[in-house]
Amino acid sequence: MTKHLNDLENQSVYIIREAYSATRSMAVLWSMGKDSTVLMHLVRKAFMGHFPIPLLHIDTSYKIPEMIAWRDALVRKNNLRLIVGQNHQSLADGMGPEKGRLICCSALKTQALIDIVKQHGLQALLLGIRKDEEGSRGKERVVSPRSTDEGWQYKNQPAEMWGYYNLHVPSDVHLRIHPILHWTELDVWEYIARENLEVMPLYFANNGKRYRSLGCATCTNTIRSRAHTVNEIIDELKVIPTSERAGRAQDLEHAYAMQHLRTTGYM
Amino acid sequence: MLMLCNTCAQPDTCKSREKSMPVVVVVGHVDHGKSTLLGRLLADTGHLRQDKIDHIQKVCDSKGLGLEPAFFLDALEEEQAQGISIDTTSVNVDFHGHRMSLIDAPGHIDFLKNMASGASNAEYGLLVIDIQEGIRAQTRRHLQVLSILGINDVVVVVNKMDLVKYDQEAFDSLASQARELIVNENVNCVAVVPICAFSGENLVERSTNMSWYTGQPLLNLLGDLCSRTSAIDEQNAAPVRMVLQDVYKFDEHRYLAVRVVSGKIEPGTEVFFSPSGKMSTVASVKSFPTGALLEASRGASVGLELSEQLFVERGEVISLPDQLPEVDTRLSARIVWLYDAPFDPNSTYLVKLGSKQTNCRLELSQPSAGDQGAVSSALIKGDFADVIIRCAAPIAFDKTLRKSALNQLVICSQYETVAAGVIDNRRRQSAKCITIDKNIHAETGYVERTQKEARQEHRAAVIWLTGLSGSGKSCLARALEHRLYRDGCNVAVLDADNMRLGLCADLGFTPEQRAENVRRLACVAKLMLDNGFICIVAAISPYERDRELANAIVGSDDFSEVFVFCPLELCQQRDPKGLYKRVALGQIEMFTGFDLPYQPPQKPALRVDSSLLTVDQEVDQIIDILLGKGVIPSNQTT
Repeated sequence: MTKHLNDLENQSVYIIREAYSATRSMAVLWSMGKDSTVLMHLVRKAFMGHFPIPLLHIDTSYKIPEMIAWRDALVRKNNLRLIVGQNHQSLADGMGPEKGRLICCSALKTQALIDIVKQHGLQALLLGIRKDEEGSRGKERVVSPRSTDEGWQYKNQPAEMWGYYNLHVPSDVHLRIHPILHWTELDVWEYIARENLEVMPLYFANNGKRYRSLGCATCTNTIRSRAHTVNEIIDELKVIPTSERAGRAQDLEHAYAMQHLRTTGYM
Repeated sequence: MLMLCNTCAQPDTCKSREKSMPVVVVVGHVDHGKSTLLGRLLADTGHLRQDKIDHIQKVCDSKGLGLEPAFFLDALEEEQAQGISIDTTSVNVDFHGHRMSLIDAPGHIDFLKNMASGASNAEYGLLVIDIQEGIRAQTRRHLQVLSILGINDVVVVVNKMDLVKYDQEAFDSLASQARELIVNENVNCVAVVPICAFSGENLVERSTNMSWYTGQPLLNLLGDLCSRTSAIDEQNAAPVRMVLQDVYKFDEHRYLAVRVVSGKIEPGTEVFFSPSGKMSTVASVKSFPTGALLEASRGASVGLELSEQLFVERGEVISLPDQLPEVDTRLSARIVWLYDAPFDPNSTYLVKLGSKQTNCRLELSQPSAGDQGAVSSALIKGDFADVIIRCAAPIAFDKTLRKSALNQLVICSQYETVAAGVIDNRRRQSAKCITIDKNIHAETGYVERTQKEARQEHRAAVIWLTGLSGSGKSCLARALEHRLYRDGCNVAVLDADNMRLGLCADLGFTPEQRAENVRRLACVAKLMLDNGFICIVAAISPYERDRELANAIVGSDDFSEVFVFCPLELCQQRDPKGLYKRVALGQIEMFTGFDLPYQPPQKPALRVDSSLLTVDQEVDQIIDILLGKGVIPSNQTT
């Protein structure tokens, strides 16, 4: 039990409880990745083992098939409420990464997310993004307001002092809440090890390769690795010469690709 | 390329992660080199991965720049295009036992709220000063912000030493100015280090160009400073303070969701709730999946079960019965204004402290101080001020300067944080300190207001009559009382003149005493409301902010403000109490309409003009309001 992980955990639980005290109309955005797995565990911690809010998954239909199978098994096993969002219209019109990766992300992830948030009247989403993932996430607030018209106002974010979050917003604005914003990739894996959390098997090496970050099958690459256990992943991360999202093709489209995606509502 | 700390590459022997991560915020004037310093520090401690360096190199190439260390932090397109930090970010450094989180804070005044947001997470400050520019506006302002945020230790770096050819004399002169500045803010200056951030001199390694500097390089200094954090961790002697975030009921268990701000709590402890004044005993301290815990200490987010069920809500502070926090509706605080729109003395704001939030009004208790100590009565972004916060409901807080205490607060407008501040421990918090005795519990009684309302067949309400002396408030109050009584209502009149004979006999007529008079009237009206009465208050209540406070105390659903209008000349003619004559003779001072203003209500529920209407007509109009609000049923009155 390291003090550092305790600090992170306590802070995240505090954030989740603050959000829930302001609105019960909230969901956890769940990608089945390591970060949202940690987030789910923290939600359970916050609510004394209970899971009073639904999970929300944005299914682009291009996800790695094992991810969907794992999702459904976990939902069944834990009797969770899952909402799946999908941009059916865009898929019917033939949307895919070959139309342009960022166009595809915007249609199948951003638009699907915006639609489902509206459809369910959700006032807040808990998301497992972290500052150390990429530059534009590094500039995020713990509580980030998103209006439907204007998206992320990254040039004029509200002041967020101490643990006093701006949780009250006009009804046409929803909140992106980031309980693990200050965690690093290494923190996430050390926490998974300490809490003995079940993670997607795709993170472990298979034939000398593993996924370090999970996304759509079409746009996510594996890394070379011999890490077969959580502890081996932790050791690997301490010496690995590349960054976490190096295998995520949309990040590499151009220098500010993620910033542009996120401005219009990408997670 | 990656050169992580040798000790940390061996998790079995590394102890650094068993400690909390100390947090340092980097502040200073715009373009003095804060982001560059951090980018260079990351590079020199092996925290940048090769693909990230390649990426930034490509961006810099496309702009015709050499590798720009600041771009590792300033990731936004606009930041890189203009070479400026817009928002705050943080990075971690873990190098040879020196482990810390460093927050980059923007230096431009436009982004002060971003600077403060970042700095509010920090324990230590690192102030960057450009050797050629010296101490500038934001150098000063950032120090003041750190002081308000409770950051006591600051390291100074004098940057861009290469531009003065590493001149020791230039450094010494600026260093002594900086020390003086810091001491004046009651902050401890730990050290002053001459550096060149861009070339990494005196950051991790000593610079060969400044052999005259005999101190340690920056990272070592920060590392040593941060290692003091572990000593703070051990401080469990602080009084128990827990904030109640929420109450959950799961599977027949009722959990209080609390965060331990200071001290330590264990099962069996008797606890006191402020401001409600309730008491109970902790039956268990729980966390998932561990279950019952032996104790919870500073920082812990846990669930408490009580041995005796209480009705308590978010906003309470939990302490031991013999270490109570202060409780008051009036707070003295020092604040920094962060918002683009200036302070508006006529607005209602929201104050947040602990998990409590309540409506409030702000008064500047002395003029604000802006740049260069320029004094004014306005308050704009970047200004500091001592304020009185008048709250609609009591708040629990601490006056101590101790870190992680309940003395930090924010002021919000409808949707955004507009100011941040700290309880002023130098002042007495209130002329008459309202402290709720620990033996006083709020009794709710077995007969609810709704039951009383159902039996008497009308709802409770407060009708607040405001207007000049002689405008006809008392007369209208009595006539309205008579009509409602006739119709079978339970009705009471609180006339301010009568109140001043007893409950408010200690109060005079200064604006402050009038505010207190109105507060007491509102509190009594609220008690009557809770007992089912239609309560008619007749009081000059000349200030909008006092009436808004009354509205907040009573609750706006039950509060109807009636503006009894009458031209001043007619009031003077009527002069039922002979007061205007005495004013004319100079026998009375501070009289509303003469040497003190009357602020007419902006949006009263009703405005009656007593120079045009009969008293009966006025009563009819108020009855219509009560009918419209469903206070009295339509068949009751004629």
